[in-house]
Amino acid sequence: MSGVGVGIIIALVSVVITFLFPTLSWALGRWYQGRLVRALNEQEKRTGKMLQSEHYLSTSSSMNAIGANGSTLLHVSICVGPSMGQMFFMWFKSLVGGRLASYDTVLDFGRREVLLRLKKQADEFGCSTIENIRIETSVISFAKNQKSKTSSVEFLAFATGIRQ
Amino acid sequence: MQPGTTISLHMSNVETIPGKVLVNSLGLVTGSTVRAKNIGKDIFAGLKNIVGGELKAYTELLNESRNEALQRMMLQAHSMGANAIVNVRFATSNVAAGASELFCYGTAVIVE
Repeated sequence: MSGVGVGIIIALVSVVITFLFPTLSWALGRWYQGRLVRALNEQEKRTGKMLQSEHYLSTSSSMNAIGANGSTLLHVSICVGPSMGQMFFMWFKSLVGGRLASYDTVLDFGRREVLLRLKKQADEFGCSTIENIRIETSVISFAKNQKSKTSSVEFLAFATGIRQ
Repeated sequence: MQPGTTISLHMSNVETIPGKVLVNSLGLVTGSTVRAKNIGKDIFAGLKNIVGGELKAYTELLNESRNEALQRMMLQAHSMGANAIVNVRFATSNVAAGASELFCYGTAVIVE
């Protein structure tokens, strides 16, 4: 076999190896996150039925404080992150810019999940009204060096739950 | 007060404690904690990063730390003689690579 042929084969193999892991991770991530979002949709429907009528959610601070029996501070947080494969391909996407669909999905999932958990926590404490809801987003990087591929975003939701 | 004892005060992130009457305001109280991940959790989180989604190890770590920060704030308010904290706010910041500060602050008050 000629030297050129061997060279081409080596080049092809190295390209395949470079893209194999990110592609695998991307595909697994798509499948796994799709499952998470479907589970969340189901739960939202169920808790929607359970809570919608009796729960009153508001970002304002003094709507339903009159006639309150007791109150408690509610706070829930969740850490979410995209998969390594998604981050890898996101880098290519960021060359042209535009909408980063995979980040969209992950962040949307995190925010909906954190609100759902806030409602559940309110239910645990017997609160019928949730007011002054605040949602904060912060980037958590527990990575010691920049090369580490771990990245995550924390969503914190806090509110005052009121028993009536 | 013994260290390690848990106390619980009325808390809210609105201007009053709903259902109670505000009697006296005692001023600012704060609580903070800096946490770093441990290597075991990091390895699991690294594995979880292959598929993405929720990183449960980090969620738990941050929840624990936030509760500790709240506990410190309550301890401070308790030592001032307050029985409630209003207008509680949270802040999270990355102070160093591998560590994260969880900070909470509020106004200590006496309610009836």
